[in-house]
Order: sequence, then structure tokens, then C-alpha cells
Amino acid sequence: MPALLEVRGLRKTFGRGRGALPAVRGVDLDVERGETVGVVGESGCGKTTLARMVAGLTPATDGDIRFDGSTLDGSSASMENRRRIQMVFQHPAQSLNRRMSVGAMLAEPLRLLAGVPRSETTDRIEGMLQLVGLDPAFRTRRPRQLSGGQQQRVAIARALMPDPDLVVLDEPTSSLDQSLRGRMIALLSRIQEIRDVSYLFISHDLATVRRIADRVAVMYLGRIVEVAGTQQLFEDPRHPYTKALLSVAPTMDLDRTRTRIILEGETPSPIDLPIGCSFQDRCPLVFDRCREESPVLAPMGSYREVECFAVSPSSDH
Amino acid sequence: MNLLEVDGLTVGLERSPVAILADVAFSVPEGRIVGLVGESGSGKTMAALTMMGLLPDGIEVRSGSVRIDGRQLMDPETMTVEPRVGDMAMIFQHPQAALNPTMRVGRQIARVFSLQQGCGREEAMSLAVEMLGRVGIPGAERVARAYPHQLSGGMCQRVMIAMALACRSRILIADEPTTALDVTIQAQIFDLIRDLVEETGAGVLFITHDLAAVAEMCDTVTVLFGGQVMEEGSRDDIFRRPRNPYTTYLLDSVQKEVDPHVIEAGVDFELVGCRFGHRCRHAWEKCGRVPDLITVGAGHRSACFLHAMEENGAGAS
Repeated sequence: MPALLEVRGLRKTFGRGRGALPAVRGVDLDVERGETVGVVGESGCGKTTLARMVAGLTPATDGDIRFDGSTLDGSSASMENRRRIQMVFQHPAQSLNRRMSVGAMLAEPLRLLAGVPRSETTDRIEGMLQLVGLDPAFRTRRPRQLSGGQQQRVAIARALMPDPDLVVLDEPTSSLDQSLRGRMIALLSRIQEIRDVSYLFISHDLATVRRIADRVAVMYLGRIVEVAGTQQLFEDPRHPYTKALLSVAPTMDLDRTRTRIILEGETPSPIDLPIGCSFQDRCPLVFDRCREESPVLAPMGSYREVECFAVSPSSDH
Repeated sequence: MNLLEVDGLTVGLERSPVAILADVAFSVPEGRIVGLVGESGSGKTMAALTMMGLLPDGIEVRSGSVRIDGRQLMDPETMTVEPRVGDMAMIFQHPQAALNPTMRVGRQIARVFSLQQGCGREEAMSLAVEMLGRVGIPGAERVARAYPHQLSGGMCQRVMIAMALACRSRILIADEPTTALDVTIQAQIFDLIRDLVEETGAGVLFITHDLAAVAEMCDTVTVLFGGQVMEEGSRDDIFRRPRNPYTTYLLDSVQKEVDPHVIEAGVDFELVGCRFGHRCRHAWEKCGRVPDLITVGAGHRSACFLHAMEENGAGAS
């Protein structure tokens, strides 16, 4: 059986000509049924663009997105698949309609996407509010009467209303206070147990991803440079960028001893990438080959793929 | 020795009994990094703005003192803090917004030298370029001619730090200095701040909601909630031996599994007594009053009525 979501050779270039910005430069990624795949990376790595392409909000320049075995394109069959993929955004205050009550917002996807009879609507809404930990009385409230955490719960409820199989979450906890993040993660895990939904979880917050993801993909300048099981990736990172990223992420563990790898400089502009590996200018392991050819993601062991000539000799074309 | 001493600081809305900072005290010794940690609404940024004399309209200081090297900065007539050049400098969460967008960054730093040391235009500019080099900016001369919008967030934060250094400030107030930056850039800025402290002996007040950053950077920590100091102590005290129920709650919510259905509540500023009272699982009738900070260890103090009870209990047994 194919994976629920199969992304193959996905590309997105904004603009054209000399100023063209390649935001996503050939990404392959699978999400299995009931699985949570985390995508981490720093600003400009293309993780949000990837999320938006999967959710159908940004058209891809090239490549395939297959969902439950069929390609997502403009056909009517793929419209049904669109219902099965929903998205939660970073800023709930901006992604919720501030003129609508919570109840009206939750009713809309039922009417538009799921064709649920009106008589069932109220029950479904109240059940959903309970699922996300809100009192059914919240139906009559408007977004501004809710706290940030409550707003994000409503956004999650709205995404779940059409009964999706995959929810794409773009930085869902980043605008929340730290004490709420854990609660939101616990809520998402609980929902996953009950509804058997898959998550594509986009975040720059490594600690949060570590808590929720089964597998993690690390992006740098529009490509996945390493993907592995969560524990494997966090305990034994292989790609030099992953290693550096994890080594400098602050932690509350005062006993942890580690060698911090401070990368020099900043991520280069994707508009003017060098020939060869895009990490070459900041990489501590760089050698001649990295400046001549581009590595590709290659298997390393059974559950890991790495894109690096220095650590995975099979990263050939 | 304490460079900065803040005592009994109470700040509130004009014509309202509500206090957004209630009897807050903390100090910053020479060459130390002191964390002021709290969630949204804790008053941490208000404390910084008070010290800089930058409180917005409609917010007034009711009482309190702010001393630098023993010198009182609070004007008792106007109840405003009037720091002199060289007393304090502040770096902000969004450096691009804090810099003047219409002026080249070299000129902005040079102006500090002109104001403080009365040096001429050319000398000030060469000092500015030198300062940019000191904060680790490659190609300082070129960067000095750039406008803020032409620089990345990490670069702008370095420029802000260069300006703070140019004032030869005894105290650096860093308000969420890396929240808007990527992890690898955050590591660079953290290193820069640590180096500066070592080199200049300045004291740093490090304001953040990010507990991991506090564990990484701070020597001592003051925990704020709803404008009240809940606990203060060394980094080890706070992370290994927290005594206040709020601190424990905060640490647990980041580290441990939490119940997703306990609804988060914000700060209730109308609440009389301990501001954490309505959310605290230990709350009892006494919590209708504000608890005093009680010494619970060397340099370790916590504001909670539980401590008095524990002591009595220990005495009786």
C-alpha cells in the first residue's frame, strides 16, 4: 500500500529570470497513515512553502503530490482529496474570521466540504469543541473573546471538521506561551489517537517537534538534508547541518554536556546559490567534491536518509 | 557588587487600581547575567521599559527605586526614571524595528560616539566601524554604509549590540533578543553577549519567556507572574530545586506530560492576593493576600504561603 502522502521531486520557484527565488528545490517525502512527520529548519528553508503546496494553497512549479494513491491536480477526484487534507496556521488570530462566531466557523466546512445535513451540525460542532477541550458554550463566542491558546484550539477544531486524514500544521505552537505548547502537543496527540489522523508538523522549534513527531525531516535552503526517526535524529544526527543545529539549540537540561558547533555566517541567499552543495560555505566537513557536484538524499541504514558526500558516500546522482 | 538595584517597583494604569508590576525587586551584579522570566502578561517588558524611562502613555510608576552604582535614577517628583548616557542600553526583540530605517547603520552608531564622547564626524565613524568589527560583523566598512532593511535580523541585532557597547553602558537590558532569530544565529548572539560580559564586566538583564534560553545564559533568575515576583535564585535553584508552585508549574508544562483538557487561563489583574492563586493547585484561603518573598535557601527566595506552613509543620513534628 502506498503511503498516505507521497511527495516526489517537488519544486517551487517564486518569480522568474535572474531574481527567481527557488524556495523548494526538489523534495521527496512520505507521510504514512496515522504518522506524524515533523519538518524543521530555519527561516527561508522552504518549510512553509512545502506545507502550503501539500495543503493546495500554493501551486507547485514542478513535481508530484500523491494522496492516497492519486495525484493531486485540478480534477474533481482531487477536490475530494482536498477535503481530506486540512491546514492549521501559525497565527490563529489572523487565520480565523473575526466577524464569525466559533459555531459559524465550524459549521462552514461541514456545509461546503462534507455535505452534512443541517440537523446534525450542532451535535458535530459541540462534539468537536469538546474534543479540542473547549466548552460547547464557546459556540457563540468570537475570536477576540478568546485567548491565543483558545483561538488555536478553535483553528484545530475547524481543520478537523471535514474529517481530514492529514492535517498540515504550520508552526501551530510558535505564537503561544511556552506553558501552553506542551498542552497543545498533548491535545494533538490525543486527537491523533482518537481520529487516526496523520500530521505534517512544520516548526522551527526543535523541542516541540521532538515531543510530537515519529519522523523528522531537516530542511536547508529548499532541500531535505536529513530525514530519520525522531529519536535517531535527535540522539545521533549525521548531517553536519543537523549536528550543528541540535548542538546549539538551548535546553533546560543543566547536566547535558555537549560540544557546541557554532556555524559561521548566515544562510546564503537562495537567489544566488553556489555550484555544488548549498551548505558548503558553512560546513565544517566541506571538501573539493562539495564545490563541484550536488549531493542527493541517500539511504543510510534502514530508517535514515542523508544528503552529504562527507558522511554518506552514496549521496551520488 | 550590584550594579543595578530595583526595589519596590509598582507600576499601574493611570486612574485605575490595577497594578501591572506589584512591589517588584531584583538586582544585577557586575559581570553577571540575570534572567527575568515570565509568560505574556507577566510584566517583564514593562519592568524594562520602566528602567529605561520609556513607559507608554497611560502607565505610571506609583513607587519604587532604580539605582545604578548606588545612584538613584527615580525622580521623586515626576516618578520617572531618568538614566544618564552610559547607565543602561537596551536591545529589543525586533532589531529592525528598533533601528532608524532612514539612516545608515554606521551613522547611527557614530552618533552615539558623537553624543557621548563629543568626537568629530570622521572619528565617530571610524569608531563605529571598529565597533561593528568587534561584534563580529564581517566587512564592517561595507555594512556601516547599509540601511537596516538591507541587513538580516541577526546582523541588525549585532548593530544594536554595537550601539549599546558604544554607550559603554554598565547595564545591558536584552528584551527577548533572539526570539525573532534562527537557532544558529541565536547561538552566535548568545556567545557575543557572554563575551561582552567577560570583557567589559557589564551586567545583563536578560528578559525572556524561553526557559531553555535562561538555563543556557543566566547566572541567576527572577520568575515573574502577573507583575509579582514569584521566585528568585541561582540557575540551579530555579531549575533543580524550584520551590514556588508557579515555577514548578512552568517547568512541568515544558518538560512533562500535561493534561490537554486543563484550560489555560491568562493573568487576572483584578484578583486580590497572589496572582497565581486561581490557577494554583495548592491555593487556600490565605492566598487572598499577597505572600512575601521568604528565604528558602542561600540566595533563594520564594513568595508562597506554603513555605510558612512547611516551616510550622516542620517545627511541630
